[in-house]
Amino acid sequence: MEIPYNSTARPDTGLYNGKVGIWLFLASEVMLFGALFSAYVLLRVGAEPGNWSMGLMSKEVGAFNTLILIASSATIVLAWVSLKLKDWNGYRKWKIATVVFASMFLIVKWGYEWPAKFTHYDVTFVDDEAAETVFANVLGQDSYNKECREKHREIWNARYDIDGKVWDSGSVGTKDKPLDGHIVGYYTENEDGEREHHKVGKAFGIYFWSHAFAWRHDKRNDGRTTGAKRDTFREKGVVAVEIEPAHGTWDKHTDKHASVTDRRYAKASDGKASDAGGHGHTITIETSKISRVSSYEPAHSTFFAVYYTLTGLHALHVFGGILVMIYHLMPISRRLYESDPDRFTNRIEITGLFWHFVDLVWIFLFPILYLF
Amino acid sequence: MADEHNAEWYENTFKRMIYWVGGVLIAGTAITYIIDKWGVAEKTSFLTAVIFGLTVATIKAATVIVIFMHLKWDWKFKTISITLISTVIFFIGMMWLTVGSEVKTYEVNDGKPGKTDNTWVHGEHAIDLNKPADVETPKK
Repeated sequence: MEIPYNSTARPDTGLYNGKVGIWLFLASEVMLFGALFSAYVLLRVGAEPGNWSMGLMSKEVGAFNTLILIASSATIVLAWVSLKLKDWNGYRKWKIATVVFASMFLIVKWGYEWPAKFTHYDVTFVDDEAAETVFANVLGQDSYNKECREKHREIWNARYDIDGKVWDSGSVGTKDKPLDGHIVGYYTENEDGEREHHKVGKAFGIYFWSHAFAWRHDKRNDGRTTGAKRDTFREKGVVAVEIEPAHGTWDKHTDKHASVTDRRYAKASDGKASDAGGHGHTITIETSKISRVSSYEPAHSTFFAVYYTLTGLHALHVFGGILVMIYHLMPISRRLYESDPDRFTNRIEITGLFWHFVDLVWIFLFPILYLF
Repeated sequence: MADEHNAEWYENTFKRMIYWVGGVLIAGTAITYIIDKWGVAEKTSFLTAVIFGLTVATIKAATVIVIFMHLKWDWKFKTISITLISTVIFFIGMMWLTVGSEVKTYEVNDGKPGKTDNTWVHGEHAIDLNKPADVETPKK
């Protein structure tokens, strides 16, 4: 049986079926993302001063992904225009370009941006004295002097307090202003009380996951070793942890010339806990001085919980769009185009409408998650 | 959409529009990024930065909706325009719930000294927990 108004317009709406359907679907999507944006605003303005860790985002990566998605939005319209001009080869060219751009977006998001966060850790301290000792060491100073404080203030303000109002208020102590970087090694004690150094890469079997958010320690959780609050420091008997301060921020104050590989892995294996901070590349911190270790996973902070929820849902939309677009490049779609070109052209139009909506959401996500 | 347009319109007019919109979107992204890098929030205020960023984003979104999603030509179809208006009203309503309504920060009077609860309370429904409960004495 022939379904009416697949290619021709219904007299009452003036639209074909698919177009009515996609606009109703997009309306429901506006409600979904609208509620999430609304929740974001509530959490953003309600956050305690100095606790919104947005400055940890890479603006360059966000801008690059925005440009990629904009390009895909333009190419998908060009694909549809090609069909309007009865040009299958032109359609195919622009559609493939759209799939390539969309895939690049996901590769950057899921292949680079998220994994980089899962391997990046924040460390906070049990008291100001412990924190000041560590920051003085990281910044190459003998003590937490004026110069050290100013450098620390510059880095912390850029990451946690864009207005720069919280530092002087004293509402966030030095112990709660995190040092961030990669965990490159850890120490345990054997039965004789001697310390043994381990490389992180060997800790959890699969290399990436040994660096990724498997490392958790939070004094407030009372050393639980199971569930979401699993304390892997307690589980592995970690008495001290070796950290490479984040390159691009802390390192520029010490040694910016060493290669990443040198800093992260080679230097991590050099042995003793007592002198690990001496070479300026990595620093060893006693577990007893640490109040919390967390990677930039959703549990890190409210900001990252929101970030993963919004970008994850958006990325799923991108993924779904890619699947549909690949289907539209397969031989079965070519056969539909040959038998009913108007109907196929309409399909590409409504796919395009969905894709532009995905682009629209990102246009707002970019400034609110990466910039402000 | 716009079936009244002929091949020549798509080839010349519409394609030119697509490239223009692409240019506007790229320029908007670049401007937002550069202004942020310049330090708009630090040099002016956080509110200025937010207003600037969201204004540019809204302009970009408008060009996508009007040209790429063909609303310039499809607005006349009530199924589309009324649906869109409804969703915009819904969106404004959701935003009002968070940023537009009255917000009070109050201290919970739970008898524990020094305990503060920054709970969000909305509009006229706000309950003043510091105020003693207004309870009628039972009649004998």
